[in-house]
Amino acid sequence: MTNRLGIFGGAILMASLALTGLGRAQTISYADAVTVLAKDCGADIKKHCRGLNLGNNEIRNCLEQNQAKVSPACTSTLASVVASIQMRLEAQASVFKVCAGRAKQLCKGVVGEEHILQCLIKTERLDGEKCNAAITNAGWR
Amino acid sequence: MTIHGFRYCLTLALLLAAGTAGAQQLSDKQLIASLGQAAQAAPIVDVGLLVQEVNANVGKGVATLPNWSQLANLAQLAVEIDFENDSTAIEPASYRTIGLIADALHDPRLRHYKFLVVGHTNATGKAEHNLELSMKRADAIMVALTTTFSVPANHLIAIGVGQEMPLDATNPKAAANRRVQLINLGLAN
Repeated sequence: MTNRLGIFGGAILMASLALTGLGRAQTISYADAVTVLAKDCGADIKKHCRGLNLGNNEIRNCLEQNQAKVSPACTSTLASVVASIQMRLEAQASVFKVCAGRAKQLCKGVVGEEHILQCLIKTERLDGEKCNAAITNAGWR
Repeated sequence: MTIHGFRYCLTLALLLAAGTAGAQQLSDKQLIASLGQAAQAAPIVDVGLLVQEVNANVGKGVATLPNWSQLANLAQLAVEIDFENDSTAIEPASYRTIGLIADALHDPRLRHYKFLVVGHTNATGKAEHNLELSMKRADAIMVALTTTFSVPANHLIAIGVGQEMPLDATNPKAAANRRVQLINLGLAN
């Protein structure tokens, strides 16, 4: 049952990452990412990576080094999770740079990241593809 | 507001300790709402003094000491994070909670603040050992947040307080006393 759920979780993750249509996030939240990781890799982590931690890439390195022994579902989930986290981090770091021009145009006089973001969410239709993609992939919509 | 914040923290900690569905009851929205209530006249916290106080009072408790008692006035939240037995390795079942914290700390409403991560144990085992373990576990949480989730290292400070500040003081061995506090220390420089 756990395994079936795990594969199911992985499939959802892969599907959501594969959808690149406009307005659809190519990332999932950090919480959802590591939840799928725990679901699909929990048993392998317990078996092969005891005592190792989520930080410093310990779990990732351990699962990659033990790939021959780790379940295929875990290996594929790990790759998607790493990609999603990386992409979301980049999106979050880039939103206010990528959207700076539009913000200046569309959100005159608005001060503070939180308020600029709220403004940009309202002006979505005029924000342009790159700015919209950054906000969406940052998970801030 | 302070009292409300503290009650909220109590309620959440209890909810989280209540059952297996606990982790799903916490959301990044709750984290952002509780941690974002930065008090106007928030006391300045000297982390060095907190460490000094706890080191000098192992087994005696710190809740009423000058520096530790000030923490109650800051925006905060307590969460449950499970570790392997007597280890600093975070259980996969608690990865979600770490991920929720990462989501919240990157949010535009919180990402310019600095946070204190305080590790607590219950009173099972030796007080000295509990203090050391809580410190290492708080550190493991900080490392997960700053490496895997790239939270800026200068936005987090991890300290442990062992069994010295129980949530349930009348029942020091209660599982609810094992928790992690996240405390908003104000804007990061």
